[in-house]
Amino acid sequence: MAESLVILYGALPYLLRGSLVTIAVVAGAMMIGVVVGISLAVGQVYGGKWLRRMIAVYVWFFRGVPLLVLLFLFYFGLFSLLHINLSAFTVSVIVLGLISAAYQSQIFRGAIMSLPEGQLKAARALGMSDRKAIPLIILPQALRLSIPGWSNEYSIVLKDSAVAYALGVMEMMARAHFVASRTYEHLPLYFAAGVMFLILTYLGTKGLRILEEKVRIPGYSS
Amino acid sequence: MGKKFLWALILLVAIAIAGGIYYFKEEPASAKVYINGIDANFPPFAYVDKDGVPDGFDVKSVDWIAKEMGFTVKHQPMDWDGIIPSLVAKKIDMVASGMSITDKRKEQVNFTVPYWKIAQVIVAPADCTKSVDELLSGGNKVGVQRGTTEANWIKENLIAKGKDFELVEYDSAPLAIEDILNGRIVGAAMDDAPAKDAMRKKPVKIMGTFGMASEDFGYAVRKEDTELLNMMNAGLEKLMASPYWWELKEKYKP
Repeated sequence: MAESLVILYGALPYLLRGSLVTIAVVAGAMMIGVVVGISLAVGQVYGGKWLRRMIAVYVWFFRGVPLLVLLFLFYFGLFSLLHINLSAFTVSVIVLGLISAAYQSQIFRGAIMSLPEGQLKAARALGMSDRKAIPLIILPQALRLSIPGWSNEYSIVLKDSAVAYALGVMEMMARAHFVASRTYEHLPLYFAAGVMFLILTYLGTKGLRILEEKVRIPGYSS
Repeated sequence: MGKKFLWALILLVAIAIAGGIYYFKEEPASAKVYINGIDANFPPFAYVDKDGVPDGFDVKSVDWIAKEMGFTVKHQPMDWDGIIPSLVAKKIDMVASGMSITDKRKEQVNFTVPYWKIAQVIVAPADCTKSVDELLSGGNKVGVQRGTTEANWIKENLIAKGKDFELVEYDSAPLAIEDILNGRIVGAAMDDAPAKDAMRKKPVKIMGTFGMASEDFGYAVRKEDTELLNMMNAGLEKLMASPYWWELKEKYKP
């Protein structure tokens, strides 16, 4: 037991550096997810028939194919064929981001559709074009409503990021495994990795709760 | 207030991404820096030390060769399952990480001269009194690392021919050792070098071989990389003739 603790203590700086990699992967993926996800959601709610169909295919594809398969497809397949030499880190961020966009788009879509129809109609009646009304009237309300669902997505992306080691990204889980292989102390190290994931989940969801409070419009209900 | 918070959040995320990109920027293979893909879960040939620096018999061998032959090498830990695809897709330039030379792998990559002979053994708890034959029968569960030559050999030559035991596949040999200690499997098949490494650290012992012919380790390079292949061959021959080779054997006891 004491021996395990000594090993764990010695490995901590190495694992903590891994948590920075994990944070960078998750932050990048979430950013891509927000930008692409919002576009997909708006397209799916307000777009024409073909746009809606194409987005539905995108969402179906990225929600349906396992993460590991997508990572391999993009890293060894797509980017290699296009002769784009991206690092394993970048590819992991992009793939996790595109998958997250598919999930996030449905969070945003649900939020947009929960707004009363009168909102857009009123904006139109005041002479606003849809191009103006959607970013200025609809999205500010919808995004506020999305935050609770979004914190779900954050914790999922956080844990999915561990799969990035398949491409050689040295995130937290991979590092825990390396130390365990050298020391044969698998349980204490995986336990430590689990605790670190819990802490990151807590910090992220807490941050989103604070954000939710900060951006809340007093007395507003949709 | 809300805006300030948002900006702070965006700034934080931007720093995180910039940090990530900075951290990984030197990754693509540039001139004269060769990337060696390793399975860092394979002590004593390749692992990461206490400070997270790649270490091991193969890592130190390649470092010596690089110095001798005048190139720079970076060791990149990889998942074993994806290591040959990574090599073929030019994500890494070589694999010096206890890779057995096999005909099947030779279809995809080229190997250097053999530098190590390895036997496949069965490892069991230190107090085990059964023979290897007894362990590999009676519906027992036996562990192995997924994607290894021993995993394929056991499936083709023992399981397919009606031997009555169940093969349980693990991510790494040390994980199989862990499950031996947990009592979930009666033993595990692995290379003798990591088995000896495990024996030094945990109450397990080598029960003996199980009929698989010994194999040779070599460094793998891409088919078209003949220049690198020749350089590694020359380097390996120099290394094996030098006193440092004995030092390495003494230090890592593979």
